[in-house]
Amino acid sequence: MRALLRCTVVLGCLGLSSAVLGPPEAAAQGPASAIAIVANPRTTTSDLSFLELRKIFLGEKQFWDDNSRIVLLVRAPVARERDVVLTKIYRMGEAEFQQYWIAKVFRAEVSSKPKIVYSSDMTSELVTVLPGAIGFLPADEVGSGMKVMRINGKLPGEAGYPLQ
Amino acid sequence: MRRLRATIMLCAPLLLSDIPAAAQGLAGHEATAVPPTTILGFADINYVETERRVDEGFVLGQLAGHVSTGLSERLTFFGEVSATARPDEYRIEVERLILRYDFSDQLKLSGGRYHNPVSYWNTAFHHGLWLQTSVSRPEMIKFGSRVLPVHFVGLQVEGGFPLSSLGLGYAGAVGNGRGDDISRGGDSGDINQNRALLATVYSRPAHLFGLQVGAGAYLDKASADAVDVDEQIFSAHVALTRERPEILGEYARIRHEPDGGGITTDTDAWYLQAAYRLPLPVDAFKPYARVERIAVDDGDPLFAPFGLDYRGFLVGIRYDFASLAALKLEYRDERFADDEEREKSLWAQASFAFGEH
Repeated sequence: MRALLRCTVVLGCLGLSSAVLGPPEAAAQGPASAIAIVANPRTTTSDLSFLELRKIFLGEKQFWDDNSRIVLLVRAPVARERDVVLTKIYRMGEAEFQQYWIAKVFRAEVSSKPKIVYSSDMTSELVTVLPGAIGFLPADEVGSGMKVMRINGKLPGEAGYPLQ
Repeated sequence: MRRLRATIMLCAPLLLSDIPAAAQGLAGHEATAVPPTTILGFADINYVETERRVDEGFVLGQLAGHVSTGLSERLTFFGEVSATARPDEYRIEVERLILRYDFSDQLKLSGGRYHNPVSYWNTAFHHGLWLQTSVSRPEMIKFGSRVLPVHFVGLQVEGGFPLSSLGLGYAGAVGNGRGDDISRGGDSGDINQNRALLATVYSRPAHLFGLQVGAGAYLDKASADAVDVDEQIFSAHVALTRERPEILGEYARIRHEPDGGGITTDTDAWYLQAAYRLPLPVDAFKPYARVERIAVDDGDPLFAPFGLDYRGFLVGIRYDFASLAALKLEYRDERFADDEEREKSLWAQASFAFGEH
């Protein structure tokens, strides 16, 4: 038993050193490349911390604060906004992302995987009509009828916005 | 006829899943908060050379099918059915059948047949061998294990606090406990009218993505060959599921107190597995190793007759040759029960996942 504990502690320490994840660095790019997090206009939440955003996209937070169900929309490959979200929010590659959701559904930790959307128009349409929906778009493609979420109090294009 | 029924059971969800999408059109199907139907399947094909007195050669593993479907925005059905190759037939088993109502992140209530969450491995990988790094499960929680009860039939309440810094979660359950055959859950009722109780807690710290630590307790009265014992299982686990490295460790103590007096006995079981995905350009390869032990007290009235003592060590390498398929090559060195001889085996496995995802 002691041997087991000793091995666990040593291997755990090795692992934690590489698993500690800090907040993403904001890339020094112009506002045109920012990715906006958009939600159904009836969603009562307007401001998310980056941690909350990450928990939502990881399927760990499945209900909004008013207890309505979160419906997650994720753009299909290959789209620049998907690459940004996988890199900065999920911190995963395509294969890891795919495996993550297969495991999550198989473990019954979520009722379903994210809804896959195939265009910015489809994202806009679903976010507008679907209660609880949250997705992402290039900031310059955000239209009316949807709510743009502040992340850590910042809107796309503002200094310090994490999804530039 | 039996094989035909089995085929229909496994394929029915796959066929039915296409009906709503086709009938309603894409927009009608997508513009709803009701969770859609998701179908997943897992299968494996093995080759084994071994010193053990068991059949060698090509071994078909399990074909496991999983379906989840929303019955309403908050009500979801989860099912898992497996077909396992046996010498004389395929055995069809309903592994999980769960109806769950989600009140909130903090409270979800369900009923049915589960994989017992007192073991981390049992609920992390279920019957998806492609999901796990190694060829097979640890001996303490292998399919058909007598050491830890693999299945649980009853009611479960679970939830989590995902925004807490510790990422706390819990599960509590009441159910039938072990069946007449102690390796099985009491599917058709409680054999001794003494419900099993189960509680688990875990933490997934917000800033240590991929880390989970947790503990569990399971209380039941178990019976075998006219021996009744009070059973208490206490478990703990640590799991770091990032690929560089992957570390899984689990420990369980199973205490048996014979009814009407007698000596209380303790069985200890544990494993520790470590793996590391190699860097580019050979990142498709993941070497791994595992050491494990089951130490049964000779006086244990429930376990001793089955010779469950075990020591094992394995090393292997996993090669992910496609996004949903892996080859694994594994060398094992094991000692079963009180045998003096260590028995060596070489396993090769192709495992894969398929379905709508």
